[in-house]
Amino acid sequence: MHQILVIAWREVSRLRKRFSGTSPITVILLLAALGFSAFALRNTVALGSGLYRVGISGEVPAIQDSRFSIVTVDAIEGKTLLDKHIIDVFINGAQVIYRDDDKSLYAVKALKQYLEKQELIRIGSSYAEGEAFPLRVGINYLNASQASGQNEAAPAKPEEIIIPSLTPPPAPFTQVIVALFYIMPITFISIFFTSSFMDEKINRRLTILLSAPITPFQIMLGKMLPYAVFALATTVLIAILTNGNILLALAIFAPTTLFIFAIYLMVPMFYRTFKDTTFISMLVTTLTTSYLVFPAMFTGSNDLAYISPLTLAVKMYRNEPFGWREYLFPSLPMAAIFGFAMFAGTRMLNEEFLMGYKPISRKVADAIYLMMAHSQPYLSVPIWSLLMIPAVYMIQVAFLAFASNLPIGMMLGAILIASAFVEEVVKSIGIVVLAEHGVVTSTRNIIVLAFLSALGFLIGEKLLLLVSISIVSQSSISSALFSAGIFLLIPLFAHFTFTAIVTVLRTKVKLPYTVALTAGTLVHFFYNWYLMGGMR
Amino acid sequence: MIPFLAVVKKELSSVLRDRTIIISILIQLFIASFSSALLLGMLSLYDADTIMKYGGASIKIGMVGASDNPLESFMTKRGIQITPFATLTDAETEFYQGKLNAIILIPPNIFNTAEIKLYLPNSDAISSLIRMVIQEPLKQYENYLRAQNGIEVRYTDLKGKPTTSFEFVYSVLLPMLMFFPAFVAGSMTVDSITEEVENNTLQTLLSAPLTINGTISAKITAAVILSIIQCIAWMVLLWLNRIAIQNPVWILLLAVIVAGITSTSAALGAALLRDRERSQFVYSLILLTAIAISTLLDLSPIETVSRLAIGDYYTSGWNVAVFAVFLAGLYLLLLKISRRLVV
Repeated sequence: MHQILVIAWREVSRLRKRFSGTSPITVILLLAALGFSAFALRNTVALGSGLYRVGISGEVPAIQDSRFSIVTVDAIEGKTLLDKHIIDVFINGAQVIYRDDDKSLYAVKALKQYLEKQELIRIGSSYAEGEAFPLRVGINYLNASQASGQNEAAPAKPEEIIIPSLTPPPAPFTQVIVALFYIMPITFISIFFTSSFMDEKINRRLTILLSAPITPFQIMLGKMLPYAVFALATTVLIAILTNGNILLALAIFAPTTLFIFAIYLMVPMFYRTFKDTTFISMLVTTLTTSYLVFPAMFTGSNDLAYISPLTLAVKMYRNEPFGWREYLFPSLPMAAIFGFAMFAGTRMLNEEFLMGYKPISRKVADAIYLMMAHSQPYLSVPIWSLLMIPAVYMIQVAFLAFASNLPIGMMLGAILIASAFVEEVVKSIGIVVLAEHGVVTSTRNIIVLAFLSALGFLIGEKLLLLVSISIVSQSSISSALFSAGIFLLIPLFAHFTFTAIVTVLRTKVKLPYTVALTAGTLVHFFYNWYLMGGMR
Repeated sequence: MIPFLAVVKKELSSVLRDRTIIISILIQLFIASFSSALLLGMLSLYDADTIMKYGGASIKIGMVGASDNPLESFMTKRGIQITPFATLTDAETEFYQGKLNAIILIPPNIFNTAEIKLYLPNSDAISSLIRMVIQEPLKQYENYLRAQNGIEVRYTDLKGKPTTSFEFVYSVLLPMLMFFPAFVAGSMTVDSITEEVENNTLQTLLSAPLTINGTISAKITAAVILSIIQCIAWMVLLWLNRIAIQNPVWILLLAVIVAGITSTSAALGAALLRDRERSQFVYSLILLTAIAISTLLDLSPIETVSRLAIGDYYTSGWNVAVFAVFLAGLYLLLLKISRRLVV
């Protein structure tokens, strides 16, 4: 522990030295710029900014919305401009005149949303509350299972009274944006964490550090500590500024912080040039942000939204309760990825690996070898396949997003091929790398390893399904999944066959890895295709 | 001129060799498809019209109370199936048998303020779906009650076309695809200059027959060339997706100018700070501030691209020229400052 603190202190003084050249005035100036930008962009940047030109004439509510540019005209001129396609809509007092083309109709719809709000403000301020908003709806919730006798003690939610025209739609946009405020500083801070590693790599101090009597684990943890403390401090600050529950915010965002740091720990391990770092960081930021934001947008309408911890934050800001299972569902995988990254880091943090300039694919292969070589292949291969399941899952979600842009006919095929490809890579790469280094040689051993890899993968796959389904929804689906126990043997055999094809083709027939993978992927794809056909 | 081209070539080939540019293109493709997938998802989950189109016909609501209530006709017009009941108990029985999705209770003798009750299933997903679908009929009912009180609400009969995808394509997707390469170009310039400084290779480079200004300009040129290739590719892709874009030449020119602006200001930052860590940080801050200021001054390149693309009457090449003037000023400033890199 002492060692870790020493490293942490060293890191703090490094940062101080780095930024000591810049005067405090510059820092204040930059911070002011940041605050000012946040303030300026808060309201003005909106979907559709500057798209519509509106002509107005007579008594019309003031239109202050970045989507509309206003021209004040008289009645005849307004109609001429509208006909000449110079403006999209013309508002003449209470009358709205428009053309019949798309652009004008879009403008009308956008205006409708805006003017409705303005009218409510006008009515609310000029009439008594009861007259202006004459409808109250008391919402009660009924337990669907009450009659069947289960869950009779389930607490009914208290009645919620709403006024329809003042109730925003349940889409959680605003809360997701607020939750995103927590993520941005964490990402920013972790970029500094990354550059700290790079800095020490360039001036070779890392080499000296590695020869000191401390473990790589202590180095990583020590370097991470100041940044992690800083990240948690910003979390507390944002919770205070947005009137959130501080302890709850910490509990929600601590695993997320670990997750982001874990990913940024990998960036300096793989970079070769500065440009590499920039691009890899960008990729990582994009992927993590979309992984966090995308599910949270569906808070309340789809239970799988709980994959993202931002969903919990959205719930927190809506004052809706959630249980410890909902908390663990996003948090555990993130903590697991952190643990995995720390383990991988301890293996990769050696001079030979860090300083080598090789193609990225070669570096990844080396990294995998370093992770696996320290224990028995019979143990490390299945564990590798099992641990990679969350990553495979994340990649497949990304493919889903890509594929949604394709024509419907191609969508299914593309997804099937891409996911088969990813699965084959994960299952075979460990064995191939071990064979390349001569750890396994005989065909028999390779086939046994292929079986173990398939087994690990299948266990991981089913565990993920079981966990996600049993936490998120009721157990009916999960029991259906496992009811036919014998059917597990068929996918196991299938997975084993594909992996065996890839590994044997690569290591024994000496085909290039890409060719071997293509063969395995194709067989896998046709198997899946056949299964889908069988279901119809 | 030859050494200048040699540096441009070296920069471009290093990017191609490292395959890093592929990552950048992947990111853009990913953002574009993810945001449109997000939008489609949101549309189908949060848009009452879309819900009604795909599953709304199966929503059954029981209504307890006065049978001639206008709310009932508003609901039916929306396409929701309404079943009248005499008492709440009757309706609840049907609800528990799974024949109803929700119940509305309208108490008799409503005067000026009405309070109705809504009974929803205790499941987030289904209840929010129902709430979205009945939002519009409830608002219409509210306006009806207001009219009873003698309050007239204007602009209630406007229709139009759903705007989300139009606004998304022209104000988010197109500007994102045109300016993300520019953002990357700036980052690349910072990397490429600070790497030479931190690895002490700049001095060697300068022993070639090339000035410091020539070197930096070559690096900026390489970054801008890369970004323009990406922009052209995105334009073609959008065109293949049948997204109509007016003024494509002006838009491309604006994208080049903006890439020039970001790379030049990135080079300025690198010349002043000389290390990657601080330069990248300051570069992203400057970028953010620049976006904020341009938005406030009503001179935002994002808005200019959107307006050029939809063929806005008031937007033309002159709006692009403004940015060119700004770029020229920045570049002159860089020529003055770049000497600091050598000493």
